Amino acid sequence: MSPVDPAVALPDKAVDGGWKRVHPASPFVRGWVALAAVGFFFSRDAFERMLQGRDFVDPNLSGRVPWLLAGGAVVLLLTVGGFILSWYFTRYQVAEGFVRVNTGFLFKQQRQARLDRVQAIDIVQPLLARIFGLAELKFEVADAGESAVRLAYLPIDQAKQLRASILAQAAGVVSEPGSTEEIREAPEHVVLSVPPGRLLGSLLLSEQTVGILIGAAVVVSASVFLENTAIFLALIPGILGIGASYWSAFNKGYNFTAAISPDGIRLRYGLLDTQAQTLPPGRIQAVMVRQPPIWRLFGWYRMHVNVAGYGAAGNSDGAARTMLLPVGLKSDVLRMMSLVLPDPGVDEPAAVFNAGLEGLAPAGHVPAGTDGFVTTPRRARLLAPLGWRRNGFLATGTALLIRSGRWWRTLVMVPHQRTQSMALHQGPLARRFAVADLVLHTTAGPVIPRVFQAGVTEAVELFDQQAARAREARKRQTSEQWLAQVAPQAPEVAAAAAQTEEPQTPNQEDRHDG
Amino acid sequence: MPTEAIDPPGVQWLRVSPKYVTVRLVEWAIGNVLLVAVLSLPLVFVLLGWWRWPPLWLAIAVPAVMLLLALWRLALIPRQVRAIGYAERDDDLLIRRGIFFQRTMVVPYGRMQYVDVAVGPVERSLGLCTLKLHTASTGTNAQLPGLPAQEGARLREQLSARGEARLAGL
Repeated sequence: MSPVDPAVALPDKAVDGGWKRVHPASPFVRGWVALAAVGFFFSRDAFERMLQGRDFVDPNLSGRVPWLLAGGAVVLLLTVGGFILSWYFTRYQVAEGFVRVNTGFLFKQQRQARLDRVQAIDIVQPLLARIFGLAELKFEVADAGESAVRLAYLPIDQAKQLRASILAQAAGVVSEPGSTEEIREAPEHVVLSVPPGRLLGSLLLSEQTVGILIGAAVVVSASVFLENTAIFLALIPGILGIGASYWSAFNKGYNFTAAISPDGIRLRYGLLDTQAQTLPPGRIQAVMVRQPPIWRLFGWYRMHVNVAGYGAAGNSDGAARTMLLPVGLKSDVLRMMSLVLPDPGVDEPAAVFNAGLEGLAPAGHVPAGTDGFVTTPRRARLLAPLGWRRNGFLATGTALLIRSGRWWRTLVMVPHQRTQSMALHQGPLARRFAVADLVLHTTAGPVIPRVFQAGVTEAVELFDQQAARAREARKRQTSEQWLAQVAPQAPEVAAAAAQTEEPQTPNQEDRHDG
Repeated sequence: MPTEAIDPPGVQWLRVSPKYVTVRLVEWAIGNVLLVAVLSLPLVFVLLGWWRWPPLWLAIAVPAVMLLLALWRLALIPRQVRAIGYAERDDDLLIRRGIFFQRTMVVPYGRMQYVDVAVGPVERSLGLCTLKLHTASTGTNAQLPGLPAQEGARLREQLSARGEARLAGL
């Protein structure tokens, strides 16, 4: 098969130059399982004989050896040939506000994604790729499900460089077409990191552990009661599974570091497989802070986000990517909040977040809580005997804060301009108590914002006002390119960025695509 | 129709076509008549003496309860259809439904990604269609069933035009 000229593959004249290939070793790093399987298949026999103390090659089969070897060689050649072809026909290009990837030699696939629609960029390094100094680049646009563009594998420096240039173009930094000047990575400033001890503690004190202890107690008492020890054997697969899930949580959460840069929030984590996520400003659709009851002893919280493109946290990979903070103290939570929502729209953000995390309305006949949160009216306390003093909402100038849960304390925050649609729900019981639930619809993810049991008048008022607020906030947000707006940054980073990015400033252009 | 407590004040609701009741009746018949028929089979077998189990009272009670539930659902259909309403406001579309479990939803025009019009066989014979709005959120389950085909087409064009004018990113 002759090599395909990219200009032929893509008739569009605007996209000719700048096509690049991924690293030649990448099919082997990706497909090492296939190679290992081939090797295993052909060496198992000899290996088993060796273990049994017999000859390395079965003497009775000496006539068949050439055939076996030839077969093995053919399979190996086909696999390696496929790898080389797949590598040869994978090309990518970043130009003209698009990132394009061509793959496949029998079934060709061309993908292009608009840079200004980028929701997140991840650099992933599985262990093997890490050994070879390679990395995979994942580029998410606003579509749940699979990543829009995946480039596996690039040398790590090239991956970082590509990320910087994609982010710069997405941000609206325009460089002259002919310029060969490399775009430097935006400077970053580490905001917080999670010590391994705390991560380990948080895993040992998680809900999962409580469930396991209860399960173990049930099993032990059952075996004592039935005088049957065979029951423990049946538990072995379960124990292995539990161990694997603890290990994967530890592996994913190890060395968790959050940093802020003009390109957005950077999250890095991983023990064996490392991952670095970049969330550009304004891409976070909803945030949740949660505290399981046991964590209250240590004042720990965990945070999740909804980002378009990350999708629901169905698998462990998705769960790790939507984790904004695996475990952190309240100061960490407040710091993260200030990154996610640089302008909380209230005078005393700390006090408001505090009320959202821990606040409880007074038990008496007070219509609205003293901390600003509008809680479930007292008349509906039978509907939510535990949560009625906690369930509440507070609309600030930029976001809606929703708190709920007496035991599993939860605080959800949705920026006004990210609200997709809203619905008021009321069942017969809720109507009897004159309360209603307000559900905010956001992109798929672990955070499901819902105001529980608000009084009907308050709920309808919020429903109406929230629609207006979302409208206003969207009008203020004129561009998807965040440099075209006031970039939300931590002040000290903004100052640092202003110094280092000085040469690029004249190139910035106020492009509005709204 | 009287405005319910959770509806925003001052909204003039537009109703869907009363012919949509027929669509719901057909759906009800397909689902419930079959179910009750299948559940009645043991009763027939017991009466014919083919089966010794279940006892007669159980064989009667199960399909009877299901029949009652089905009839209850049947009686609700006209009211449920009357409870579906929509209202076009300047910047968003309101959709409401439900009698016992009510839902009022607001979908901003600028948030609509695309608008679907679907027509099933029963709907086509009655000249109706179902309008579906999609936003970036999977939680937006905004459906307007039982619209007259003309109104559906008008609404689709109207919503697309308004969506384009107010289109915002995510």
